[in-house]
Amino acid sequence: MSGVVIAETFRRHVTNIGFIAYLALLAILSLGVSVFNRPASVWPTLVTLLALITGSGAIGPEFSSGTLQLILVKPLTRASYLLSRVTGIVLAVWLAAAVCAVFELTGRALWSEGVPFLPIGAGLLNIMADTILAISLLALLGSITRAYFNVAIYVGVMATLWVTEVAVGFIRQSSSALGRLLANRKSVDLVLSAIDRNLFPEVLPAFDPKWLVLVLSNAAVALLLACLAFRGREVPYGAD
Amino acid sequence: MSESGVSVRALRKSFRSFRRRQEVLQGIDLDVAPGEVVGLIGPNGAGKTTLMSCLLGFLHPDSGDITIDGRANDDLGVRRRTGFVPERMNFDRGATGWNFLRYMARLAGVPGGEVDARCRAMLERLGLTPAADKRLSQYSRGMLQRIGMCQALIHEPAFVFLDEPTSGLDPNGVLLVRDLITEQKQRGAAVLLNSHQLAEVEKVCDRVVFLHRGVIQHAETLRHTDRIIVAVTLLPGSFDVATVERITGVAAQENVVIVTVETQEAIAALVRDLVAGNVGIVDVRRHTADLESIFRGAA
Repeated sequence: MSGVVIAETFRRHVTNIGFIAYLALLAILSLGVSVFNRPASVWPTLVTLLALITGSGAIGPEFSSGTLQLILVKPLTRASYLLSRVTGIVLAVWLAAAVCAVFELTGRALWSEGVPFLPIGAGLLNIMADTILAISLLALLGSITRAYFNVAIYVGVMATLWVTEVAVGFIRQSSSALGRLLANRKSVDLVLSAIDRNLFPEVLPAFDPKWLVLVLSNAAVALLLACLAFRGREVPYGAD
Repeated sequence: MSESGVSVRALRKSFRSFRRRQEVLQGIDLDVAPGEVVGLIGPNGAGKTTLMSCLLGFLHPDSGDITIDGRANDDLGVRRRTGFVPERMNFDRGATGWNFLRYMARLAGVPGGEVDARCRAMLERLGLTPAADKRLSQYSRGMLQRIGMCQALIHEPAFVFLDEPTSGLDPNGVLLVRDLITEQKQRGAAVLLNSHQLAEVEKVCDRVVFLHRGVIQHAETLRHTDRIIVAVTLLPGSFDVATVERITGVAAQENVVIVTVETQEAIAALVRDLVAGNVGIVDVRRHTADLESIFRGAA
């Protein structure tokens, strides 16, 4: 991996005015809601959203903006560049997650009776793993599409899964032939939930090593596929 | 510096769209030797950009060989010594010129201790020092071209690929780029210049390759290493045809006589002999191929 690319990607994100504003919002929210909610229950969702926003720019838009050509003639492999970009983005998102955790701890220290270090620590660890997976998937989708289609596909798949699960439930309750057929087919649920669990795992509130291994191994597979796709992809120069 | 330059053999590249297959490059052979500037000219759609893209590893050829310094074009050792100026500079427009150039220099492998000094020197050379702290979004097209040249040359590459480097530049910028290209040649770099500016190509290139419909239709040497071709324009009515032919060894075509000599001194001697023979001379200049005629004739 390239330290230069990691540092530049990180710098570009954390100096972005939108990122700074979002970070300030997260900090205030983490501080404010710490009194009223379970530990690490509000900000992880917002950090995931940040991962989706920043991860969408991992590689896809570089194909369409024509910025890749200057990089690809430099002495680093495509895989190295992709992994470095992902690392830089992940670090920027982790910074946001760490800020949230620190502000929640501060809020609880100020206004609550006890400081729940362990649940907040577990929440932080889980969201850190979850953001690696989300950004890796976006990098994979970005390496086979262009512009911001990666995030469109990501959200599209997520929505389709949810709609399909709901639709299967409704159809099952009906007295139609399809409903009767699905009623005896538990494998449909298993497949849908396996896809959901692997691609969009729900961030757990407690430490669970099995869950961490699942998330991180899926991220590794996504990154491997992303590197392979990016290596074989042609990059016509000039904009699309 | 480079040992064997850029070599392309039987290069073919086609694009598919739906069921149609269009062969854009149809067996290209090309060499760019160290210390040589080769111009790539041709009409729009001739395949120049595709050829450049294949050379730089952006596109994968269908068949054929590309070697740079005897190695594959995606070899990291080769990339470390490659510089490229795209026709349009696209980069994070929020970055300042200074940050952009530092990033490019570090990526190109310029040693950490030298990065700042080299960036300062390149910005100064290209006249961008006052704009170093401005964002790229505030740069004009010409300024972007200049900073494009900076990033391509900051690591003193042995293989330089320039795609329309003078587009958007003012006359001073054009002269600057011309000087920079000449400097690269003198350093021993192999330079491939893709340009529509025939006058520029004529001024800086040693050889020119005319690409049309994916094939090299014409190749012309503009500057020979072992001889100089001079065009001497004579004052009409001031000379005797036989005298001119006796002195120069060739017959004058209308008022112009084209002579091949070996050294600069021989040009001076030729002029002296003509003047001594009472021949009026209006103009003496190096004779190069008329690229416009080549372009028109082949296109």
